[in-house]
Amino acid sequence: MRPIAAAALIGMLAAWPAIPVVAQLAPGQPALLPPDQAFRLSARALDPSTLEVRFDIADGYYLYRDRLAFRVAPVPAGRVDLPPGKVKHDAFFGDVQTYRDAVVVRVPLARAGQAGERLTVHADSQGCADAGVCYPPNPQQVDIVVPAAGARPGDYVEASKRRGWFN
Amino acid sequence: MKRRTILVGGAAAGLAALAAGVAVFHSTSTAQRDGAALLDVVLPDPEGHDQALAQWRGKVLVVNFWATWCAPCREEMPQFVAAQAAQGAKGIQFVGIAVDQAAKVIEFSKQIGLNYPVLIGGFGAIELSKSLGNSLSALPFTVIIDRHGRVAQRHLGPLVQPELDRVLDGLLKRA
Repeated sequence: MRPIAAAALIGMLAAWPAIPVVAQLAPGQPALLPPDQAFRLSARALDPSTLEVRFDIADGYYLYRDRLAFRVAPVPAGRVDLPPGKVKHDAFFGDVQTYRDAVVVRVPLARAGQAGERLTVHADSQGCADAGVCYPPNPQQVDIVVPAAGARPGDYVEASKRRGWFN
Repeated sequence: MKRRTILVGGAAAGLAALAAGVAVFHSTSTAQRDGAALLDVVLPDPEGHDQALAQWRGKVLVVNFWATWCAPCREEMPQFVAAQAAQGAKGIQFVGIAVDQAAKVIEFSKQIGLNYPVLIGGFGAIELSKSLGNSLSALPFTVIIDRHGRVAQRHLGPLVQPELDRVLDGLLKRA
């Protein structure tokens, strides 16, 4: 009696949040990641006038190259050359380039930052999961400190907790 | 000892029944509340004219959040077009809410011969979908409202055949 009742109770409680939780495409499939975990932003300073920004992309997820945009404050960024992605034919947009696994982008600054100065890198990205969903454009940011001239490159700093538009 | 087991078992069964009752009440009231909230929505069509979702009250209403920048969204839509053509007369109404700009929506609608209305939600529609249970803000996200205005189904990701027909047939039979 007791094990059956307990099992019933556990069953009821398991069914409890059935309505709002839809972060899984189908039973048995892995849960979808929130975009900040699917597309992990980090950055470091290579020298006082060059940053390196990267996205580590979870397996089964991809980012669109032409949806990536970077901005740095208070020292503005110079021209950013994005590495080539993998070409994918899109029925509506034509050939588009996507990144998987990781993308590393060198972001030159318009002028050298001062040693110890705090810079904020703003990165906008948009990506999808192979499971069949896309995330809206996702703004993320990461703060880094300018190293002294001649110092070795700093360590990567992970993006701060989400301050995005949608979550 | 045996008596105690039965007592505990009885208490657990009572609690389970209570939990079941609360869970059913919870989901029923949530379905009613969310359905009413969605039927209250008014959004512009691609030509800029406001459209109230309430005009489709009483139908089995399939509300699909999508965007042209979402390839899986575009890929599922021809099936919606086919279902609207085949089942529209039976009381099924598809409505798209685009997290997008009108110009893109018009272009894509022509491309696939869209035969159901699409409203322009912009990024604000993401918030609306979140309030309906789309915790990840991902697309496509589809909410189906029954004839009584209750949310009958919430679906993240492509809603494809045969599941689409199974769900719609079930709701039509329920009348």
